Amino acid sequence: MSTNLAYAQPQPLRRPSERPAHIEIVTTRAQRKARPRMLYAVVTVASFFVILAAQLLLSIVVTQGAYQIDSLQYEQKVLMRTEQSLLESLSLQSSSQNLAAQAAGLGMVPNATPYSLDITDGSVFRLPGSADPTGCGGSCGLVGNTLLSGIPLVSAESAAAAATAAKSPVAATPGGAAATAGTAAPEPSNNAIPAPVTR
Amino acid sequence: MKARSTRARVSFVVLTIAVLTAVFMVRLVDLQIVQAEALNAEADTKRTLTRVTHGTRGDIVDTRGAVLADSVERFDIVISPRVTLLRKDASVVVLEDLKKITEIIGGDPNQMLTMILENPESDFEYLAKSITLEQYQAVDDLDISWLYYELNPERTYPNGEIAGNLVGFIGTDGPQAGVELTADECLAGTDVEASYARGEDGVALPGSAVETLSPDDGGTIALSIDRDLQFYVQQRMAQTAESLGATWATGVVMRVSDAHLLAVSDWPTVDPNNVNLADRGALGSRAFSTPYEPGSTVKALTAASLIDAGVANQRTQVVSPYALELANGGGIISDSFYHEDQRLTLAGALVESSNTAIAQYTDLLDAASRHDYLAKFGLGQATGIGFNGESSGTLYDAADWDARTNYAVQFGQGLSTTSIQMASAYQALGNGGVRLPPVLVESCTRPDGTVTDIPSTEGTRVISEAAAEQTLQMMEMVYSSSGSAPNLAIPGYRVAVKSGTAQVAENGSYGGNVVISYAGLAPADDPEYIVIATAGIPDSIYSGAIASTFRDIMAQTLTTYRVTPSSTSGPDLPLRW
Repeated sequence: MSTNLAYAQPQPLRRPSERPAHIEIVTTRAQRKARPRMLYAVVTVASFFVILAAQLLLSIVVTQGAYQIDSLQYEQKVLMRTEQSLLESLSLQSSSQNLAAQAAGLGMVPNATPYSLDITDGSVFRLPGSADPTGCGGSCGLVGNTLLSGIPLVSAESAAAAATAAKSPVAATPGGAAATAGTAAPEPSNNAIPAPVTR
Repeated sequence: MKARSTRARVSFVVLTIAVLTAVFMVRLVDLQIVQAEALNAEADTKRTLTRVTHGTRGDIVDTRGAVLADSVERFDIVISPRVTLLRKDASVVVLEDLKKITEIIGGDPNQMLTMILENPESDFEYLAKSITLEQYQAVDDLDISWLYYELNPERTYPNGEIAGNLVGFIGTDGPQAGVELTADECLAGTDVEASYARGEDGVALPGSAVETLSPDDGGTIALSIDRDLQFYVQQRMAQTAESLGATWATGVVMRVSDAHLLAVSDWPTVDPNNVNLADRGALGSRAFSTPYEPGSTVKALTAASLIDAGVANQRTQVVSPYALELANGGGIISDSFYHEDQRLTLAGALVESSNTAIAQYTDLLDAASRHDYLAKFGLGQATGIGFNGESSGTLYDAADWDARTNYAVQFGQGLSTTSIQMASAYQALGNGGVRLPPVLVESCTRPDGTVTDIPSTEGTRVISEAAAEQTLQMMEMVYSSSGSAPNLAIPGYRVAVKSGTAQVAENGSYGGNVVISYAGLAPADDPEYIVIATAGIPDSIYSGAIASTFRDIMAQTLTTYRVTPSSTSGPDLPLRW
């Protein structure tokens, strides 16, 4: 018995890995368009670094500010101390005892017959005045102040010198005029009141 | 074989990592949780700095803003002798530095060196205390590395003894007397501590402040005192006390319209800058703290009470003998100098200051009513100022008055008052019969501008306006017609005044010592100011000795406040009949 049918040789299954089919999937135009671009990545990373840098700079500025605050606070403290020290000196200089003693030292006496002007009706009236049985115008040391022990009395000469120094730029011209007139400048009288300079 | 070896290596690495992780975890938990608190605390002490900022104590100023008490910064120089002596040739180098320092702050460099050499192990010694800002800056400029500075806030009183009795002072344990003590709540500042992390150079790290609080500075106390007037009154009273040989003297000036005390002087007194110079008894204010029997100045209050009660008027007549036997068995009372029987009106009784006349008027009103009048004038009660050590004086209940005291209180014996109480009683006479609470502290102004401690202005009516006016008219007769009138005259002004000479009780009986005083108001037609001048235990036993002091203080007050002279002439009341 013969057969004309050929035996179908079973074909061995090929292992797909041995010879992979070269299939390439080509992206469509739309897909290509939708793909993230390089630009975004660059922008993101760059901004990250920018932020880092900014933070660093900010931190430097803040630190710098700390030093500035510190030095300004110190300056403020020094200025406040100076102000306070000057105010202390001012209140001491303006104490009644000091003023009375300085005034008496300059030859000033309380006005025994003061007058007052009533500005509502223009009337002038005489006030009782300051009776001073001690005769020293409040400079007898009856009311003490131990803080004043180191403060020297202003003498009439030093006060006159200070007054001259203060008005010397203005006083130069009349002084010169007197010199050209050939007369010696008059000696300032001891009880002369230094006149204010007015223009 | 190859695959097995790979697996083993992988397992080994994983295991090692696991073990290490576990170890680190344990350590982490230990550090972060178990020991965390202790470590944080230790770290804080190493990198943080705590700085105390002092709240400044507020000033005490007078009514015009002149500073009476001021807080100032002083510095202490602190050294560590141990560190100082570490230097090479220490005793030579240090002595040179010390010479430069003492040139600025004074003192003996050799003594300072001895102190350093005697304490070689010490880490803390004061080289100098309380140096001023200028000295501190000059010493600091020397750049001496072994000096440290401590801030030391102090108190100064630029006006010294002026109002030293009122302002008080501060000792090592805080405020000791006067307004410094009673107004401490307003004046005291609060210190704050701020801690922050510091860099190596001591600058605060940004944002590291744990707590930043600004210190609370104290408030400013404004007194009603006028410094310049106070200065005058203190001088005049000191001069009076010395010339009269008195043991003590007080002078009080009060404004009628609001009962503000413009001057309260005490002699002797204290300079708060150097309390050790003062007598122990002069550290406070006698005008507030030490009552005395006021004597005849009370007769004005008696007359006002009788007129207000409607039982007497300016012309009510009595016959005043030199000595009067009291009808109730109180013994004999007499006037201060001998005279024949006088036929006096009530006004005349005040001018002559007759005890026997006042005793007869006293019988016109029952004791309880008279007591109530004296109480309403403020006698026997605290003034409400609350001054440190303030006395209420003594006014016994009418039921406790014995037969003699019943009369004596009406001429100012058998009761005691302070100078402030007498001023307050006279304030009612000047203010149309309404007594206002006396004021020493006008306000407390906090640094933020809020003003507290405003005194009450609520008055109480003591007598009617008419009674007050009639009493002032009678007191004007004292000014114009009494024996001391020449010493009282202030040309151009009408003045209402009453003298007082009171015996001082010693060991239960009255001896030869007296308290003399003059109390009065001006201008009498529209009273603006009250002056009371009082001297205790003077050589002279006549009140006239202090009349000119009263006049001078009143004249100075009228001048200081530019009081318009009186436009009308004084009354002319009949004194005798």
